[in-house]
Amino acid sequence: MVVRVGFLSLAHMHAYSYGRALNSLSNCILVGIYDPNQERGTKGAQAMNTQFFSDPEKLLTQVDAVIICSENNRHREFTELAAQYGCHVLCEKPIATTMEDGQAMIDACQKAEVKLQIAFPVRFATPVRQVKTMLDRGYIGEVVAISGTNHGQMPGGWFVNPVLAGGGAVMDHTVHVVDLVRWFLGQEFVSVYAEAGYGMLWDVDIDDCGMLSMELEGGTIVTQDPSWSRPRTNPTWGDVTLRIVGTKGIIDLDAYAQNFVVYDDAQNKVSQRSFAEDMDLGLIVDFIAMITDDREPSITGFDGLKAMEVALAAYESARAHKPIALNRQRQGSEYY
Amino acid sequence: MIRVGVIGYGTIGQIHCRALQSVSGCELAVVADVDAGARARAQEDYGVDVVSDVEEMLQTTDVDLVDICVPTYLHEQVMVKAMEGNKHIFCEKPLARSLEEGRRLVDLSSNYAQKIGIGHVVRFTPAYVGIRQSVEGGEIGQAGVVRTFRGGSQFPVGWQDWFADVDLSGGVILDLAIHDLDFCRWLFGDVKRVYAKTSRKRTEAHLEHAMIVLRFKSGVIAHIEGSWTNLEGQFYTTIEIAGKNGLISYDSRETNPITIRTVPEQNVHVGAVAVDPYVLELQDMVQAILEDRPPLVSVADAFGTLQVALAALDSARTGQVIEL
Repeated sequence: MVVRVGFLSLAHMHAYSYGRALNSLSNCILVGIYDPNQERGTKGAQAMNTQFFSDPEKLLTQVDAVIICSENNRHREFTELAAQYGCHVLCEKPIATTMEDGQAMIDACQKAEVKLQIAFPVRFATPVRQVKTMLDRGYIGEVVAISGTNHGQMPGGWFVNPVLAGGGAVMDHTVHVVDLVRWFLGQEFVSVYAEAGYGMLWDVDIDDCGMLSMELEGGTIVTQDPSWSRPRTNPTWGDVTLRIVGTKGIIDLDAYAQNFVVYDDAQNKVSQRSFAEDMDLGLIVDFIAMITDDREPSITGFDGLKAMEVALAAYESARAHKPIALNRQRQGSEYY
Repeated sequence: MIRVGVIGYGTIGQIHCRALQSVSGCELAVVADVDAGARARAQEDYGVDVVSDVEEMLQTTDVDLVDICVPTYLHEQVMVKAMEGNKHIFCEKPLARSLEEGRRLVDLSSNYAQKIGIGHVVRFTPAYVGIRQSVEGGEIGQAGVVRTFRGGSQFPVGWQDWFADVDLSGGVILDLAIHDLDFCRWLFGDVKRVYAKTSRKRTEAHLEHAMIVLRFKSGVIAHIEGSWTNLEGQFYTTIEIAGKNGLISYDSRETNPITIRTVPEQNVHVGAVAVDPYVLELQDMVQAILEDRPPLVSVADAFGTLQVALAALDSARTGQVIEL
């Protein structure tokens, strides 16, 4: 079976990496790209060696699955449209900008009997998978504390528009680490405290730095730094790190450590070049296999919803200056 | 020559005695310790007079400066006695174990005729002094978000294992993370809010890991991490300060100029510093006496740091956000 895939919007730059992955695989084909921004869509179609569609419904009749890389607040409308045409969905994170929208996406896909996967590619980073195995085997005993970072540079564009993005650094960079922790330990977050800083590092009105302090249902304490605190001169875009403290040891995980450094006099620039295995390729391989094998998504809409719930609670906490309790309900039960 | 009497010949007392050998303008005259074995070691190490406690030191010897190196929960009572003896005083951090003790020391010291300095040694550590100069010099612009880590070493060895009893030591927050709380206060001023968590409920005391979130009045957000995780065996510290115009990043593991490889698994990294920060803090104290000026860290200043650390302990215990 060759899975036919299309893009709905290229607003998120990850689309290019996903496109490269699709083009490198033999069991799928990139049929085309719809983008409400015709210029962006045409340019992307050229770069990914595929066709631009000015009508999304025309594209949807020709594909089995779509990858949605729109602005965060448009994930719902594109997901609902794809579900209407019986297409499986891989949606960029965060799932949406409100719990209502996220739940509506899950419901729409369930009703249409299509699969919804959320793009958390870090789960497919080789060192991350190795740590998951070590934790499952109890290498460091019981996990009691986790200190995480997902730093980045200020992405600009629609990412700093509160309506389109649903938030700044806290929304953008909380969900990856929260998803990893949920996946590692199989536990839900029960409380979130956060500080958020607005325009403290960049000339933006949105939150560009913050700090979260959370607790899991088993009592494990977790902090997460989502700040866009990498300066323009930083040799790389950012990081994903976790210090995992167990009763029998500690694991320090740096998901993007596999790189070498280039000092370039001509560009007056120092930069890191990754030699790590491509996590985006891992994500796409998994998504396509989900369709060909007709199995459940490895990262569900519920996973996306729970990660966003933490980010939304962080904003609530930062406004109220107190910890926010989260719903402990798990997948399968009626939610919201 | 300023005659110094060190109270307590445990881990930190021994460090102070060794450092005092390199401090000019003073001499180590007396060491006090309640333990006879410790007294014998001090006598053997330095050939100095030994006494059993602060009272005996005040009654039977003639010292100018009392250097308090006893466990945290005894700081206040020993300092009060040294004040009754009208001595100059240097006291290891933290200032005291409780807010009440700290307040009492602030009150008693406000009109005290002699000098009192508190040993927040990170303020004398070259990397941290340099980082502060860079920040204050405006190199990274207005600071926004800060992360610090301190830990990785063996659990501290103390008399009757007092470090393991949180009522006596305040755990990893009051003993270790306080260094970075103090450094951040020194750089960013007053703290507005504190929210902290510790693993203490779920780990034995020797493995306590704490994470503190601070919001300063200036708006700066900080994440302070302290760890007594004796599994790594290599003490290290990190600090990162992001500002409007850049980032400062330091990891002590990356700045050891020397690594000695002998026995496998037992590589020793050496951070070569010509001057020991403990020498610098004690030299500052001695100079303060000689020049009749305040030492770098006053009782009131150390009390400010103590308040933040105790707020973190309260927050970790109650789950509440503490507004200062």
